[in-house]
Order: sequence, then structure tokens, then C-alpha cells
Amino acid sequence: MAGDGSASRARSERSRRSVLQLSEAKMMLPRPSPGTLRRQRLLEALDRDHAAALTLVDAPVGYGKTMLLRSWCAEHSRPVAWVTLDGSDADPVRLWTYVTSAVDRLADGLGRSALKRLAAPGAPVERAVDELLNRLHQHGQPLVIVLDDLHLVGSRASFGSIEHAVERLPDNVRVLAATRSDPPIRLARLRARGALGEIRVRELAFTVDEARELLVHREGIELGDEDLELLVERTEGWPAGLYLAALWLRDHGDPREGVRAFAGSHRQVADYLAGEVLESLAPATKDFLMRTSVLGRLTPELCDAVLDRQDSAAVLAELKRSNVFIVALDGRGEWYRYHHLFGEMLRLELAETRVADAAELHRRAAVWYRGQGLVEDAIEHAATAGDDAMVADVLAEHTVALFQSGRVQLFLTWLKRLPQELLIEHPSLPAFAVLAAGQLGRPAVELQQLLSVAERARRERPASWAPLFEAVVLVTRVAFLESDVGAAVEYARRAVSAAQADPAQTFTVAALASLANALFFAGDLVQARSVALEAVERPEAAARPGGYVAALGLLAAIDAEEGRTATAMTWARQAIGYAQETGQADLWPMAMAHLGLAAAMARTGDLAEAEREAERGERLRRTPQLTAAHAHALLVRAEVRAARSLLTRAASDLDRATAMISELPDPGRLPTLAARVQSMLVLAPDRGPQPAPIEEPSPGELAVLAYLATDLSQREIGARLYLSVNTVKSHTRELYRKLGVHSRSEAIKRAETLGLLGSLESPG
Amino acid sequence: MDRVSYRIVVEGEMGPRYASAFDGMDIRAADGETEITGPIADQSQLHGLIGRIADLGLTLRSVTPLNTDT
Repeated sequence: MAGDGSASRARSERSRRSVLQLSEAKMMLPRPSPGTLRRQRLLEALDRDHAAALTLVDAPVGYGKTMLLRSWCAEHSRPVAWVTLDGSDADPVRLWTYVTSAVDRLADGLGRSALKRLAAPGAPVERAVDELLNRLHQHGQPLVIVLDDLHLVGSRASFGSIEHAVERLPDNVRVLAATRSDPPIRLARLRARGALGEIRVRELAFTVDEARELLVHREGIELGDEDLELLVERTEGWPAGLYLAALWLRDHGDPREGVRAFAGSHRQVADYLAGEVLESLAPATKDFLMRTSVLGRLTPELCDAVLDRQDSAAVLAELKRSNVFIVALDGRGEWYRYHHLFGEMLRLELAETRVADAAELHRRAAVWYRGQGLVEDAIEHAATAGDDAMVADVLAEHTVALFQSGRVQLFLTWLKRLPQELLIEHPSLPAFAVLAAGQLGRPAVELQQLLSVAERARRERPASWAPLFEAVVLVTRVAFLESDVGAAVEYARRAVSAAQADPAQTFTVAALASLANALFFAGDLVQARSVALEAVERPEAAARPGGYVAALGLLAAIDAEEGRTATAMTWARQAIGYAQETGQADLWPMAMAHLGLAAAMARTGDLAEAEREAERGERLRRTPQLTAAHAHALLVRAEVRAARSLLTRAASDLDRATAMISELPDPGRLPTLAARVQSMLVLAPDRGPQPAPIEEPSPGELAVLAYLATDLSQREIGARLYLSVNTVKSHTRELYRKLGVHSRSEAIKRAETLGLLGSLESPG
Repeated sequence: MDRVSYRIVVEGEMGPRYASAFDGMDIRAADGETEITGPIADQSQLHGLIGRIADLGLTLRSVTPLNTDT
């Protein structure tokens, strides 16, 4: 075929891209189709809600939700960022990457800073949302965000991020969402504030007048008032039913007789009407519709590839001309989709008539999407086809792009559905899964499980176990699992030699930073400093954000400790500035920069700011498992607090650190640091009443504790933390026991005395 | 948990086209409604089934667990 060479060149170029290609069709504003009825009263209702932050168009399938939104958008000059959501948007990073990209296109650069944050693996999505909202506020111009098919999102994390956004939306922005069910966000609160608009079944159902407009005036079907009333009554005004009726009756010899037969039957509305419509189609058209119904979004090229034909563009154009059940997503005839309900009916027909194997159609679609570099669509179709091998291939091929686009959660979700044998065959997958789980702060058991799969791959496939995989696994292990400081140095050394054997040097900066860190904890500051310098001086250092900021932070910490406060501050500020630029600000590798800055500031006497920096550093070091790094952060904070004469809090930090240190098999130099803080406390003039040492609350309990200081109910706390109310209750019970208190107010008082509250992120 | 049978009733009589949508369930249409009956392994399966009903534009009338006492 002509042009094949350039196509395959383009393909290989695309697959080399380090950033995931976005699916344009997800961000396209559907075209108002000429067959659609303009619904004046509903358009006015949307205008009336102009002050609402969120307007829900909330009704079952076939109520014309998308059609209404798109015709409203078409009639307004306000810029619209439209995103059609799907099941993969359960990963909030993916969801907001699309929303932010759609916004960014309206005014160049509006989403750039938020997109950077989203691309940092494991970053908290709410910070990126805040960034986007700030930019929208500064922008000041009216803007509309449309979330179509909101019900498909299906994860607490994603709904939580939407709620977060809606509650903070600047006045110049409104969100319109089409959904089949009420989203699990606190609608009552928005409603009470007048921030919620709602258009539901009652409003969306067709009136007899609207049915007349559609069937008689537009389609020219000869029906009397009585027939129309019968039809509206039988369909209960369901728009999909009436559109199907229009398609059926416009070619019917005796439409009035048709309506009477329909009204007299007990058949389900869609079943009856779709049956009539499908029956009336030419066999070739019906065949095309059935086979392409599995595709979701379609383009002529995709249909050609899946059906092995060349004329899909013409077929689609003809369908669009004659059929209201196809939605054009763009104005160029490139992307279409079927109306949801019609698509479902076609898929049922396909399954019943067995003209083609749906799995095979999905598999072909996956191959096409893969060739286009549309990774997520390729994986979705391959997974639906049950082709695990292709899912594994595509994941392995695009691992780096998925990570560099922040899509680590989606990566891990897909990967965990694969059988272990396939992971062993693609050793990069378990290796990067370990890294993903670490970055996402998953519990130690999960990390250990993935590590054991990686170990198996390394053992059973030594030939395909690349040095890069070894480096990735070892660095993750040192950062998130290793509690033995001596062993960490050993692992980090092995990570460095493995990383240096990797021709692309992808992980060398990270491995060097990891080694410098381990040496620092082990007490060899001289070597730690020279390894960290080597990391930041590498030519590619600035292109490896995680390792780069970690190494800069370490230089800051060492210089601060050895009394070179000015250079310490320079290193730390360089790390912080760079992290802000690249969206790394809220990630764990930044912890050391904040702790180093805290130590340097403490020496120059800027104690209040030093404590804030120490708190930031400590927050980033919290992990579900015990690490030397977290104990170290607590000691730095204790030292700053001791210098501020916050002796009770300092003692509490010290106690927590000491308890952790006692559990570390080899704590390195941490006991020395602890002794230093201890002596500061002993020498301090007024120690105040010494709190009895308490049993350490778990991270889950600490999270609940932070909210106890607010006036939220236990149920509301649960909603914020994505926990059941029972879990909140049991955490609260445990907290009371550990703190030796019997009420919420006592608990807060006691936690304050112990310095537990000040250390927590304000729940805002 | 043992599998529990459920009876799900939707409005309107459904034709044979729907057999593939509710694979493994018994579908009986009469008197202007359709009963979908069969074993359900757990809540996820039940929610999935109710989701299918919504996808197909069917109106849900009732969901009843059967033989809970066995």
C-alpha cells in the first residue's frame, strides 16, 4: 500500500515518544446534529442556573443529556472545555490530565503548570486541581467545563477530586455534568449554598408539543393529537423512544396504525422500537452497524481496519445524514460514536445473530489503536478482547511514557489484572510495578508481593532482566522498604552499578541519590557528599527530576549539618525552585531539601520558618512502613522545636523517633542524632511537665486525629478520608485508648500537648 | 457466602434479543413486565447486573432475594 513506509515511520516515532498521547476524541465537543430538536425550555433552565458552580443533567440513558449540553454550548460564545469520561478516569490523574488539557487549549498556557504537577508520578491530584483553579481565577474570563458521562468515573478518588474542585470553583467558571446517577459528592451542601443546578427526568421528558415538533413538523409524519398523546404516554416522554419512533414511522405506510399497534403491545419500549428500526435497515447497513458497535468511538480508518474494508467513510457519512443515532464528534467526519442506547441494542443484536465474534473485533481495534500510539484505548480493547498477552506487550512497550505522564495508578491497575506468568515473561513490568507501588505509597505487603514477582522474573529470565530493572527495584527497595541502614548502602551500591550498565543511563541519577542518602544515614558524610555531587553534576541530571531534587536536598542537609549554612540554603532553594517548575513539589524525594533548609534556618535563627520546613519534610517522609528516613525527619523536627523551646513537642518527636530507631535492625547514625537532641532537651532551662510516652498511633489513626480537631461528624470525616464510618469509629476508639482519654475534646488537648496535631497536615 | 438467587423485575416485556445481556439468567416476560431470575454470586455481580439494566434503558421495578433461608 502506498504511504506504508511513512505510516510505519510515524508509528515508530510515536512509540518512542516519552509522553503519552492524548485521545483527541475524548476532548471533542460533539456536533449538534441536524436531526436534534432544539429544546428551548431546557436551554433556558441551563441559563437560569448561571450562578451554580455545578449543574447536573441527571437522568437514565436516552434522555438527551449530551444533546442538550452540546446545543447549549453551541449557542453560547463562552469557551467550553468538553471531556467525555470513561472507566479509566477512575484514575484521577488521567481524569484531570484530560480536563486540564482541554482547558489549556482554550487559552494557551492556562493548564501548563497543573499539567506538570499531574505528570509527576504519585503526586496528590488535589494540588494540581488547586493550581488549575488558581490559574482559572487569574484568567478571570468566563469558561465552561463539561464532564459528559460522569457516572462512568466510578472511583471515590476521582469523585473526591471533582468535589474538591467544585467546592473551590472560581466565579468565572461553571461545570456542567451529564450523568446517569447522582455522583457521590455532597450535593445537599452545594444545593443549600445555591451552588447546584439540576435538570432531571421530569424536565428532560418530552411534552406532547415537543413530540409534535419532532415527529410531525420535522419528520413530516402524519399523526394526530390523539396519536401523539398515545405515543408520549407509552414512551413516558423518553426522548430515545421518540427518536426511535420517528426513525421507524417516517418510512411506515400507515404511521397511525403503527402507533396504535405499539401502544397496544406490552413489549419493552426500546426493544419494540429498536427492533422495528433494525428490521427496516438494509442488510449491509445493519451488518456495518452491528460490527462497529463494539468500538465505542469510531473513525473511518478504524472501521476499515476492523472490518477489512475501504469505504467506511462513505458509510458513516450516509448514516450521519439519515440517522440521528450517530453522533459526530468533530466537524471533519473523522470521529463518531453511536448513541449509547442504540449502541447497546446493536451489541445485543450482534451477540444474538453471531455475525461476528466481538472479541475478535476488539482485538483488531486494539491492534489499530496500538499502531496509532493511542496506548490507553489499545489496552482497553485488548483487555476487553481477553488478550492478556497484548495488554502485557503494550504496557511493557509504553511503561516509560505512562510513568512520565503520571499514569502510575492506571499502570498498576492494568498490570495487576494480568496473570503472573505473563509478568515473568515481561520482566520490566514487575520491576516498574514495584516502583509504582512505592510512589503511590502502597503498603509494605503489596510492595513485597510485587518484589517477589520481580525476583522470580530476575531468576527465571536472567537474559531479559536488564540492568535498568535491577536498578529500579533496588532504588525502590532502599527508599520504601529497607529498615537496615547498612543493607541499604549495599543495595544502593548495587543499584548504582546496575544503573551505570544501562546504556540509556535512565536511572543513574536516582541510584546515585539513593546511595548518597544511604551513606548519609550510615554516617559517612564525606562520601555521601561526593556521591550526591556526582549525581547533580551529571549532564542529564536536570532531566531526572526525582533523583536530582533528592541529591540537591542531601547536599543541603550535609552542608547545614557541617555548618555551611549559606551553601545549604542555596542547594535547598535550587531543589525547591526546580521542583515547583517541574511539578515535583509534593513528592517524597523533596523531603531532604525541606529538612536541610530547616536545619540551615535553625542555625541562622529563623526558627518559625525552620519548623514549617521541618514539618513539610516530615510529611513527605511518612510511609505505611517503618523507615530510617522517617525517624530522621522526626529528629530534625525535634531539634528545630527544641531550639524554639517547644520542649514538649520536641520530646514527643524524639520519643517517636527513638521508638522507631529501636525497631531498626541497623539504625546507622540515627542514635547519635537522637542523643544530640536528647542533650539539647536536658540542657534546656524549662522542660515543662514530661508527658508519659504513648503507644504510637498508626498513620490511619493520625489521619483521623487531624479531623477530630474540626467540627466534622464521623461520617463526614469518613467521606473526606474515603473510609467507612465504622473504620473512623474504630480508629477513634484506638486513639482514645492510646492517648488515655475519653472524649473528642480531651483527645485534641492531649494530642496538642504531645505535639501530634502540629505535625499533621491541616485538613483544610 | 453462598450464591443467592435473585428475582429482578423490569418494566415492559423483553424479547429474546436480551438473552446475551443477562447470560446465565432465566428471562420470563409476561403481563407487561419481565422477570430476570438466577443465582448471583455476590454484591458486585448484583450491582453489575443493575448497571446493565440501566445501560439498556430498562426501568427497574424490584430486586428480591429468593431462598435466603436455605
